[in-house]
Amino acid sequence: MTTPTAGIPARRPLITARRLSDALSHAYIWTILVIFVLPFFALVGFSLTARPGESGAVTNYGYVVDTFGDNLLWSLKISGLTLLINVAVSLPAAYAIVRHTFPGKRVLFSVLTLPLYVPGAVIGISLVLTYNFTYHLTTSMWGLVLAMSLGTFPLMLTPIVVALKDLPVIFEEAAACLGATRWQTYRRIVLPLIGPGVSAGLLLCFIIVFNEYLVTLFVHPPGLTTAPLRVFNQIRTAGLAPTTAALAVTMQLISLAAVLLFFRLFGARHLKGTYLL
Amino acid sequence: MTGDTSSIAPLRPAPLAVRRSGVGVGRLRTIALLLPAILLALLFLYYPLVFIIQMSFTQGSSFLSPTGPITTLMNYALVVGRYLPNLLVTLQLALFATIVDLVFGFPFAYIFVRKVRYRTAVRALMVFPMFGALYIAFGMRFILLPGGPATPLLQALGIASTDALFSLPSVVFAMSIFTFPFMVLNIGTALGNVDPTLEEAAACLGARPWQTFRRILLPMTRAGTVAGMLTVFGWSIGTFAEPLLLGSANEQRALAWTVYQRGVVQTDYGLSTAMGVVLLGVAFVVTYLSLRYSRGALVE
Repeated sequence: MTTPTAGIPARRPLITARRLSDALSHAYIWTILVIFVLPFFALVGFSLTARPGESGAVTNYGYVVDTFGDNLLWSLKISGLTLLINVAVSLPAAYAIVRHTFPGKRVLFSVLTLPLYVPGAVIGISLVLTYNFTYHLTTSMWGLVLAMSLGTFPLMLTPIVVALKDLPVIFEEAAACLGATRWQTYRRIVLPLIGPGVSAGLLLCFIIVFNEYLVTLFVHPPGLTTAPLRVFNQIRTAGLAPTTAALAVTMQLISLAAVLLFFRLFGARHLKGTYLL
Repeated sequence: MTGDTSSIAPLRPAPLAVRRSGVGVGRLRTIALLLPAILLALLFLYYPLVFIIQMSFTQGSSFLSPTGPITTLMNYALVVGRYLPNLLVTLQLALFATIVDLVFGFPFAYIFVRKVRYRTAVRALMVFPMFGALYIAFGMRFILLPGGPATPLLQALGIASTDALFSLPSVVFAMSIFTFPFMVLNIGTALGNVDPTLEEAAACLGARPWQTFRRILLPMTRAGTVAGMLTVFGWSIGTFAEPLLLGSANEQRALAWTVYQRGVVQTDYGLSTAMGVVLLGVAFVVTYLSLRYSRGALVE
């Protein structure tokens, strides 16, 4: 009863309860953020230490290029092909889900997004067995690409569905009224307008596929080792080495570059409601 | 030319109206658009799942033997018998990670939504854990290694490096870091929909912060909180980088890794698929609950 009127005094005390709680809040946020980046910077530090019998620390990154270059290239190639398949599969499906009416739409959407909720190990064991005994895909790179595609295309589908839902149908109606064919409408009107949504999907899928080691461990064809799988194998067989850390840092830097590029081009708001904020 | 078409356009039935009637060509077009996605899901998820469910009822690798498969329930008996500790430690790790994320994630999400202006910076840094549990586990293993960066701190606390490295808490810690953004995302979305004036009203009416939290914020964000917890739990039961790189022999029994060991390395297909099916069952229960609580209104 006595305090409320004391809210606006002529001079404020330096430390108020409000300021204290604000300071603590921000300190809390930053403490957690520091913990988030700690493993990364630990690896950066580790990757700059010299190997036994070597002098320069930077040679670790030279070693990454020489020895792990193949793995990096495989990772990029697999990611690229997966993204192509994801776009080809998700764009038409998202369009049908948002713009067409048909019975069982909700069920279908659940059926298509279910792969996200199946544990990686289950996808891995089921695919490696069917590849072995039914599809005979074990020695082909496409087995791995399709496995990656299956696991990630819902991440592409969802942002596109969101973007299409946000796009008023009048634009398409106007185009149709002006005599545009369906394909023209799609290519000239819809696609440019949902561009950021598609890019959000591309970013999410790239980050997941590029760093995927678990399903890859199950289904990778002999002789094809992606970079994250190589990291995993190196740690298991050779222990911790600065060169492995350098590879892990390289992978994370490439992923980070992709994210920053997206933020710069489209801003963070298109990632809203998806996996990455 | 364009003037012509626009002047006659209103007289023609609008193409979209035809599509909405949903017969004949329109229906075919819908199917054609959906077909690639449906095929991908059918051939690479649903058929393989049916395949391993069948296989989980056969002994060893007898599913493929020329004399025909030997049908048995033994695999499931093993999963809830000799391999019960594996199942339990998997659930235990996921549960602990969920609790840690909830306890630290709720305040984080609240501060992020209500007080933080530098959101881009936070988002950029929150991206790091999402690159993968593998790098987090690797980094933490290096930090905790005897002679690693954390050694002075651990010595000051009187903990042996090996106790800290190969232990349940470090596995849970790594898992929580990886899944933390999912929790914050879910709770943050829910909190964003709560009008801040409600809290001010509560404060004006004399509620203490704890009362505001318990009586206003928690009930209003329950959907997001539960969805976040279930998402974290679901992600945590399927991974094996953290238990394998940071855990002791006990945590290394995590089911996902056992599936790989028994299935791919030792080719005991029956047992490993049975473990997979159990893992799948747990994941489905979790998913069902989470979809019931979360924003399922995407397709409406």
